Amino acid sequence: MRELFRRLIQGSILFSLAFSIPMHAQPDAAAIFKTNCVLCHSADGSGNSSTGKALHAKDLRSDEVQKQSDAELSEAITKGKGKMPAFGAKIHPDDVTKLVAYIRGLKK
Amino acid sequence: MNRAEPAFLRNNMPSRWLAILGLTVLCVSTASAVPSYSRQTGMPCSTCHYAPPELTPFGRNFKLEGYTFTTKAQVTEDKKDHNAALHLLEAFPLSVVFDTSLTATKSPQPGTQNGNFQLPQDVSLFLAGDWTAHIGSFVQVTYDSQGDHFSWDNTDIRYANHGGNLFGKPITYGITLNNNPTVEDLWNSTPAWGFPFVGSNVAPGPSAGALINGGLAQDVAGVGGYAMWNEHWYLAATMYRSEHIGGTQPNDGVGFGINIRGIAPYWRAAWQTSGKNNNLEIGTYGLHVKSTPNAVTGLEDGYTDVAADFQFDHTMPSLKNDVLSIRGTYIRENSSLLATVNAGGAAQVNHHLNTAQTDVEYHFGTKFSGTAGFFDVTGTADPLLFPQMAVSGSANGSPQSNGYILNASWWPEQNVDLAVQYTGYFRFNGAGTNYDGAGRDASGNNAVYVLARFVF
Repeated sequence: MRELFRRLIQGSILFSLAFSIPMHAQPDAAAIFKTNCVLCHSADGSGNSSTGKALHAKDLRSDEVQKQSDAELSEAITKGKGKMPAFGAKIHPDDVTKLVAYIRGLKK
Repeated sequence: MNRAEPAFLRNNMPSRWLAILGLTVLCVSTASAVPSYSRQTGMPCSTCHYAPPELTPFGRNFKLEGYTFTTKAQVTEDKKDHNAALHLLEAFPLSVVFDTSLTATKSPQPGTQNGNFQLPQDVSLFLAGDWTAHIGSFVQVTYDSQGDHFSWDNTDIRYANHGGNLFGKPITYGITLNNNPTVEDLWNSTPAWGFPFVGSNVAPGPSAGALINGGLAQDVAGVGGYAMWNEHWYLAATMYRSEHIGGTQPNDGVGFGINIRGIAPYWRAAWQTSGKNNNLEIGTYGLHVKSTPNAVTGLEDGYTDVAADFQFDHTMPSLKNDVLSIRGTYIRENSSLLATVNAGGAAQVNHHLNTAQTDVEYHFGTKFSGTAGFFDVTGTADPLLFPQMAVSGSANGSPQSNGYILNASWWPEQNVDLAVQYTGYFRFNGAGTNYDGAGRDASGNNAVYVLARFVF
């Protein structure tokens, strides 16, 4: 039983390391998006996750979002909009700019 | 929540059993929404909870991701060369829950005053929030007015990673350190966070309950892993050892009814599906424990709990997004009580216990909710395991209890809960009338409980 316990612990650690190492190699904007936006808007920006559906998160690829100006998108990120909280205290203005560019890249 | 047993239990095996088992059937969730999460995310309580502690899809994902999602300012430094990164919340994640309550039973407990007013019933302090980019916590210490001290309560410290893919589908996975089987779970159909969400700590409760139904809460230490794949499949496993808060370290087992021999594995598998207005979960969970009562060597008792559960939440846009929730669980416990029989605490080795619990709740927005729950426990009769005793005992040795719980809650603010709860029994410890052999009826334990909870 002790051997099984030891192997399970080792397996858990290796499993975690295997998945976590690639995270740090991603581009800045993608990492910012993943950390802050994916929970509601999904990795592809569709908002098609369980959380996104429940909160009626916008499809970031849609015309409704993409037709907004960079300034409008930046303001939504910084100050929040509807159920979306404000990220201005956390995300640096330079990173907000990168994030807007990343969202543009999600366009259908 | 301190589980070190009083002296009178140490020499009385049946009483010890009753004490262990009596904690379980109507196991009450001891925490509510935690405001430090709200402060950390910048989102109201209702984003994570239909009504505390019931999790919405966002709340489940927040927990799944290790309580680390934040929109607030952090002290940060990026990982660079051989330097480590830093992500530290500027605000220390502390919260308080203050409960005051009144409990009245239909028949007074002999020799005691009925209409029991507690100010406070208990007070919990939480360290709950983001510790690093991937590590967060739900850590609770609770002051209980009966014990007149703080003691360690529910704990779930987790490492989580999200945003990865496995076979082309998203995967979120992590590691949890916790002290209560099912406390790490994401749904409110399993014991740690199941209905009733609030409850009296003075009204008599049925003697028998499965070990996984609160019997190990805050009396074990566990490490485990979990993963959610494709937002549908959730798998978790944790290995537990006994950790008796307030007991001798290293553990010598003396004075404790459950001393895990080796490790006790807990498992969980669930499937969920989410639509715009519907969330459904169906799952199974269980636990296997080998234990020696009052010692860490010698004969062993064995318990295997296998359970199934479901949860369905339906949001109704036509009724201003009111939510109907239906939850249920069935637990089958098979036990082999060789050590207990040898110590004179049970008349036979093999026992089983069946527990069924279900409830229906209607949420009127985030301001009101009404819940009706039903519970039923049946199992092997044993006059030594469930001995005759006034109020808490059984005249016929049967563990059978069943009844209902009605609860109405009003939240004038999202962090203030005013609740009224009624618990009614059809059977209590084996019978409807004179169940304890001392003339007490099951309905004598029917209880009204009034609670005011302040969370800040």
